[in-house]
Amino acid sequence: MNPRTALLVLLGIWIVTVLGAPLVGSQAISLQDALAGEGTAATILWRIRLPRVLLAILAGGALAVSGLAFQTLFRNPLAEPYTLGVAGGAALGAVLAMQLEWIDSAVGFPAVAAAAFIGALSVSLIILGLAVTRFGVEVTTLLLAGIAISISCSALILFLQYLADFTKTFRMVRWMMGGVSVVGYSEVLWILPWVVVGGVVLLGHRWDLNLLLTGEELAASRGVSLMRVRFAVLGVTSAMIGALVSVTGPIGFVGLIVPHMLRRWVGHDHLFLIPACLLGGGIFLAICDLGARTIMAPAELPVGILTAILGGPFFLWLLLARR
Amino acid sequence: MTAAPILAAKAVGWQFDGRQILDTVDLEVGRGECLVVVGPNGAGKTTLLRILVGLLEPSSGTVSLGGARLASLSRRERARHLAYVPQIRPTRVPLTVEQMVLLGRYPYLSPFRGAPRGSDFEAVGRALDEVGIGGLRERLLTELSGGEQQAVYVATALAQEAEVMILDEPTTHLDPSHQREIAALLLELNRKAEKTVVAATHDLNFASLIADRIFALRGGRALACDVPARILQPELLSELFRAPFEIVREGERPVTLLELGR
Repeated sequence: MNPRTALLVLLGIWIVTVLGAPLVGSQAISLQDALAGEGTAATILWRIRLPRVLLAILAGGALAVSGLAFQTLFRNPLAEPYTLGVAGGAALGAVLAMQLEWIDSAVGFPAVAAAAFIGALSVSLIILGLAVTRFGVEVTTLLLAGIAISISCSALILFLQYLADFTKTFRMVRWMMGGVSVVGYSEVLWILPWVVVGGVVLLGHRWDLNLLLTGEELAASRGVSLMRVRFAVLGVTSAMIGALVSVTGPIGFVGLIVPHMLRRWVGHDHLFLIPACLLGGGIFLAICDLGARTIMAPAELPVGILTAILGGPFFLWLLLARR
Repeated sequence: MTAAPILAAKAVGWQFDGRQILDTVDLEVGRGECLVVVGPNGAGKTTLLRILVGLLEPSSGTVSLGGARLASLSRRERARHLAYVPQIRPTRVPLTVEQMVLLGRYPYLSPFRGAPRGSDFEAVGRALDEVGIGGLRERLLTELSGGEQQAVYVATALAQEAEVMILDEPTTHLDPSHQREIAALLLELNRKAEKTVVAATHDLNFASLIADRIFALRGGRALACDVPARILQPELLSELFRAPFEIVREGERPVTLLELGR
């Protein structure tokens, strides 16, 4: 399909998802009442379901576009914030902030988010330092370093949970499952600017990212400053992932599944692939969340459990398909 | 050489891990010249090319481009004058031929502009025609043969509209017919389009076929630099490759053969 047409179709599905997903849920609501702004129906629609769908739409887009950026930057289809340990670093930062009860930092920036961002960025820089040699990126080192860092972060998170009291531990465990259940719009509004800035910065680097597909040596000889591009892309994705993880907890594999599906559909040109991931990731996570809150109704699963269940086999399939 | 060289390396050296990969190499490339660097594996050919393109900063010595110090130019400026076709490349580049060649326009693109201009597409069209692969425009790079892929990389370098083209092992892994096509293409670009060509190879007959001068490199040091007829001599070649060679056809462009002993 022509990438422009594909993008328009995606936009159509995206709009349908944003409008349609809030209408579905464990509790049937009367659209008439909800739109009239009356009673429980209105509260469920406007205060619970719509913010949840919007958060899923934004979070999914951010996760997918971050996965795409990592895959191109490290020239490996298995790279994404979750597999490289960046999400783990963000989670560690956030759990630390929860344990130490940092609520607001001096600058009024939510402390959990700031700690998650620092965690994400630190892991990105460690990975960059370990895997980038003067001859380019060593992919095996990269993925193995990601696994090692993830394990270390998980261990430290367990340690912090062990130290925490019962209520805090429950909060941490629940948050670690990854979910988009929120009440009201403050989380949505908090994530929105990060996703917009991230999308714009990545789109500004579309030529650099396209050139990286042809190899680092060729890209550098065409005038791409590899260090600048790596820092810009990692910085902006770490900020996005940090802000996101502080709200939703780690949600895995969206960044793996979505870019892979979309490449088959819109091709590899980042001019189309970046907006496609922002839209497609949002659709994917909103639909997963729709499943998560209806499969076991009236109970609502955290969506992170569902994406992880889908993601594990998908990762294996990608690995075997590459042989 | 009487005219000022377009690309010159003066006393260039490069060290890595305490090893001297290149040692005080002097090299001048004249405008419109076709210079071929030959030498055994590990002689430092790729390192020399990478230094000439500006991908590596020499540990000692300087490189100048049209009289200006290469290191003083921005990356994009360099790329408008020097187009590089590396030997080591990813095995799968998931782009179409047109998308790939368009990337050669990178040094002219501003990151804030929405799309490449008409002039960029014209340059792409010209490059594809010059290389003779206009028919492959919409094809995916992964579907092409090794020879066709090499032609696409050359077209990408042409779309860069640089006066100097630097190619690392342009014919390795190609069968004779594709080797011939690449040789003919480089000759045409050099003679008709007046491109300055610098190529590295260990294929002596390919060097003999296209070179104005051959630069012999051994152990990171320049052994000799002269016209093919003077370089392709048994004594010099045996010193260069530590293997006996036989000249099977004399003349301006000698043909050599590895001697296996009697």
